[in-house]
Amino acid sequence: MKLRIILTLCLSIVFTALFIGACKKNDVPVDEGPYNPTYINFKIPAGWPTPPSDIFANNRLTEEGFQLGKKLFYDGRLSKDGNFPCASCHQQFAAFSTYDHDFSHGFNNSFTTRNAPGLFNLAWMTRLHWDGGINHIEVQPLAPITAINEMAETIDNVLNKLKVDTAYPKLFRAAFGSSEINSQRMLKALAQFMGTIVSSNSKYDKVKRGEAVFTTNELNGYNLFKANCEACHKEPLFTDNSFRNNGLAVNPFLNDFGRLQITNDKNDSLKFKVPSLRNVMLTFPYMHDGRIFSVGTVIDHYRTGIITSQPTLDPLLVNRIAISNFQKNDLIYFLNTLTDTTMTRDRRFSQQ
Amino acid sequence: MKAKIITYFFIGATAFHLYSCQKDVTNEEKTGTVKITIKNTVKGTPMALNTGNYTNPFGEQYSISKFKYYLSNVSVTGNNINPVNGRYFLIDESTPASLSFSFPAPVKTYATISFLIGVDSARNVSGAQTGALDPLNDMFWTWNSGYIMAKMEGNSPQSTVVNNKVEYHIGGFSGVNNVLLNTGITIPIPPLILIDVREGRTSEIFIEADFDKWWQNPFELKIANNPVCTTPGALAKTIADNYKKMFIITEIKNY
Repeated sequence: MKLRIILTLCLSIVFTALFIGACKKNDVPVDEGPYNPTYINFKIPAGWPTPPSDIFANNRLTEEGFQLGKKLFYDGRLSKDGNFPCASCHQQFAAFSTYDHDFSHGFNNSFTTRNAPGLFNLAWMTRLHWDGGINHIEVQPLAPITAINEMAETIDNVLNKLKVDTAYPKLFRAAFGSSEINSQRMLKALAQFMGTIVSSNSKYDKVKRGEAVFTTNELNGYNLFKANCEACHKEPLFTDNSFRNNGLAVNPFLNDFGRLQITNDKNDSLKFKVPSLRNVMLTFPYMHDGRIFSVGTVIDHYRTGIITSQPTLDPLLVNRIAISNFQKNDLIYFLNTLTDTTMTRDRRFSQQ
Repeated sequence: MKAKIITYFFIGATAFHLYSCQKDVTNEEKTGTVKITIKNTVKGTPMALNTGNYTNPFGEQYSISKFKYYLSNVSVTGNNINPVNGRYFLIDESTPASLSFSFPAPVKTYATISFLIGVDSARNVSGAQTGALDPLNDMFWTWNSGYIMAKMEGNSPQSTVVNNKVEYHIGGFSGVNNVLLNTGITIPIPPLILIDVREGRTSEIFIEADFDKWWQNPFELKIANNPVCTTPGALAKTIADNYKKMFIITEIKNY
């Protein structure tokens, strides 16, 4: 009798254990091998605000995802004729803007219609593009890839090119656990690369950290900046992510009314995103259409050029900005301290 | 006696483990399947892409080359919402397989079906999506992030734009441009025919979507005046107010 009890007990335990074992999910497809990505943490520089939303919340950063994103960023096959990778308009030595070009060049000898902005500190941006039309970093690449005057390609074609490549399936597997190549994975990888480009090591940053000191001119310029520019170009990102009309005449060739085209709200007419002033010496020419080639001329615009009759002109600019020639000089000294060569020379972001 | 009790206990425990293995569903409620089958029509006649010649209420002739729209938050309870969370269905007249879809529902008798025409605002701002929401489906605006909730393309001699094109790409998910505010709809099941979902069985709901409803009530959409609407805004909103009335239930089968 006792034996029967023990036997029944043992059998039941064995069966129970077996069934529990069978419950375990097999996360790794057998033909794919182990998926062991190297997770990386996005570092927020000391004293900086937390990003308004976590762009990596549904896109966990991995070294493999970052490297895949970098390869895609520099790969001409994302464009129709192979000549226009993301990096053709976003050059690292120009803080990922297009150096010395009002408009960038696109497929079939075409021009873009707006000035390519620098790409850095995107994790803090609430909206992308001069008109804020893009609401998430992951969907931004869809715009330049498919624009006929930029990369002029279809997403379908890009994916087909990546699928027949020998390297990409392995890189997608390393980044995402299987070799499947789809638009979501491509876009998430690009977001991992672009979103981790941070510019936080300019002389200004070093001064803030107590590692350097401003010269007298730079300090004068910084104080002028705080008094006259900071309201829109808010530290430490040097933008408040808002859209404002800064009193430029409408370019009759472009008839670009900025944010109005996105919101259909006439109050948004002629409003454009406030650009960051970080790396401003590398991102010339300036304004949404690159119409101003030097920082000095930009300051002149705010001193004397603003068209004050525009109904949507920013209230902060209705009286223009009073800056003397002497002060203008100091302000430029300060703006020079915003150049971050650590970022522009960082091999981690380079094609290599 | 003691042995028997212990034996039963372990058999029970084993059975419990077996059962809990079967599904990831934590809710032990019994479920059946609801299948939705959609027929796109123009005034009740099955839609014929490219070949059909139609006339709108204003006497304007037109043909249709593309007809696509999203349905989401699909539910068959009406009051006690039990939406198909996280599932988005792209109905595409050119793809027969897209015209029906199924989802589980608790065993019960239902009197309404609810859904949202379009993609809820959360998914419009959450980055790159896949499946029905993949931008490859040509229902995502690249220059002004957001989904096209419903799309019609075709031709009409009354259209004044290039190649007499007619294009209605209706979207906008926030602020004054939000077309979703009125396109969450509930359709009552005709009296005496109920959706009787039974365990392991399928109930099929046949829904007809009549494109003719796009042209009026409340807004008179005349091709001569508005052959194209491809941005969020007031016009898109009024067209959405028209098309939200295009669905009717024609039949229910409880298998």
